[in-house]
Amino acid sequence: MHRRVETIGLRVVEQLSLLAVILLLWQYLPEIGFLSHRFHFMDPFFISSPSRVYSTLIDLATGRHGSILVWSYARRTVESALIGTAIGIASGGLAGLLLSQGPYLSRLFQPLLLVLNAIPRVALIPIFVIIFGPTAKASEAVAISVVFFVVFFVALEGARSVPSQILQNAQILGASGFQTMRQVRLPYAVAWVFAVLPNAVAFGLLSVVTAEVFTGTVGMGRLLLISSSTVNASLTFAVVAILGVIALVFTIAAEALKRRVLHWWV
Amino acid sequence: MTATELGDGSTAQHMAELDAQTKPSRDLAVEIDQVTYSYPDGTEALGGVTLDIPRGEVVSIVGPSGCGKSTLLYLLSGLAEPTAGELRLNLDRNGARLPLSMVFQKDTLLPWKNVRQNVNLYFQLKRIKNSGLTERVDHLLDMAGLSEFDRAYPHQLSGGMRRRVAFLAGVAPHPEALLLDEPFSALDEPTRVGIHQDVLRIIREEGMTAILVTHDLAEAISMSDEVILFTARPATVARSFRIPFPRERDVTKIREEPEFLRLYGELWRALQEQIRGGRSAN
Repeated sequence: MHRRVETIGLRVVEQLSLLAVILLLWQYLPEIGFLSHRFHFMDPFFISSPSRVYSTLIDLATGRHGSILVWSYARRTVESALIGTAIGIASGGLAGLLLSQGPYLSRLFQPLLLVLNAIPRVALIPIFVIIFGPTAKASEAVAISVVFFVVFFVALEGARSVPSQILQNAQILGASGFQTMRQVRLPYAVAWVFAVLPNAVAFGLLSVVTAEVFTGTVGMGRLLLISSSTVNASLTFAVVAILGVIALVFTIAAEALKRRVLHWWV
Repeated sequence: MTATELGDGSTAQHMAELDAQTKPSRDLAVEIDQVTYSYPDGTEALGGVTLDIPRGEVVSIVGPSGCGKSTLLYLLSGLAEPTAGELRLNLDRNGARLPLSMVFQKDTLLPWKNVRQNVNLYFQLKRIKNSGLTERVDHLLDMAGLSEFDRAYPHQLSGGMRRRVAFLAGVAPHPEALLLDEPFSALDEPTRVGIHQDVLRIIREEGMTAILVTHDLAEAISMSDEVILFTARPATVARSFRIPFPRERDVTKIREEPEFLRLYGELWRALQEQIRGGRSAN
């Protein structure tokens, strides 16, 4: 036990050291004139530096130096991602469960769904913008269109993965089709959906940011748009860092929820 | 008419009355008359099985592997229809008892339900609630030695305990007939014999008719009132063996009795004959 704690402690120290080395290289390599002249991307103008990114982050958080305040942007992105992901999970899960019921429905819908899934969802953004305008609704619609398919195929697979003897057992015990769906197939589908929850959440966030870049609506995507139009590398890296933290919190929360719900999963 | 049409009460009752007139001597829970079954690919599994199962008895079916023993249980449970012949299930139709339930060879426990919830599956599926239910499940768990594990989830249980839970889930709805499809075959021998005693006691106490398909001859002898030997595929009844041990018995002790060993030898030789017969026929 003591030894295990030591090993984990050592690993954390190693990981932090690696991070420190990367940050130091990022900070000081571009200061070497030879390198930044010879290699374009080594110029701090393009690659920024940890200290510049840090200062931009403080600007964004406090609004000093006339900077944009990041909070309302971050909140909008988080809200859109959560709403889009939730609706995508619910609708995808329900559709997967329904199509698992019989060969008729799945044969009817499967080709359509396969084609829709193969379409790069970015291509659908203009349609959502036409329908909803450049609003948060458009971002949410894009997230739904992505998460729906991630979850749909998993729920379908999960509901179909019920071992045949369990279905036969329910049949012998006199369960109706609806009872079997609610009490046997649904829990299997839900379990599989929860297993991909961290992925679904990550896809939801990605979709919302992509839509925001496209539409320029308030959100982290708009900050990225601003950073590229003002050629501000530090702002780009600051936004990337904030999105990283958001994604990390999302994933950790989804992972914790998954573990809690699927405690019986071996 | 086949009795697998469980809903058709009036005709079934009529048939039962007719039977009562023609065969007044024995109270039969299941009558299997010249039943054949072919798989959709044409393979003939059962080639005319005729068999009577007396009410309240435990009857085991043994035979060469792959001979269609399990297929008979699938026909009895209504999961498949016989190709020809007749199945008569003279089981309760007025709803007091579930006609039959089945314990499968593979795991049927729902992994997200704990032991008690799994045993309760039938009542939950049918939304049946009554005051005596908890005591009944408590009693069953106690008899199977699972009282302390009623809140445990399947992944926390040993293989033997999981089988006990699956058995209880089949017994809990109080079926008249219990179909057992090699339910203990995946267990090591000491675990298996340990379960036999509890299973037999519960079957007797519940007054169930049980049909046990197994490849373990010692299990067949120690659990049954009668052992039926099937031929190789397509299966028919080769022989039946009356087991002379009392209904209440110590399944561990009788394994050492000379009569047990004699029966085992006889059954073993008869089975070998069927296996050889099957080979030369193919």
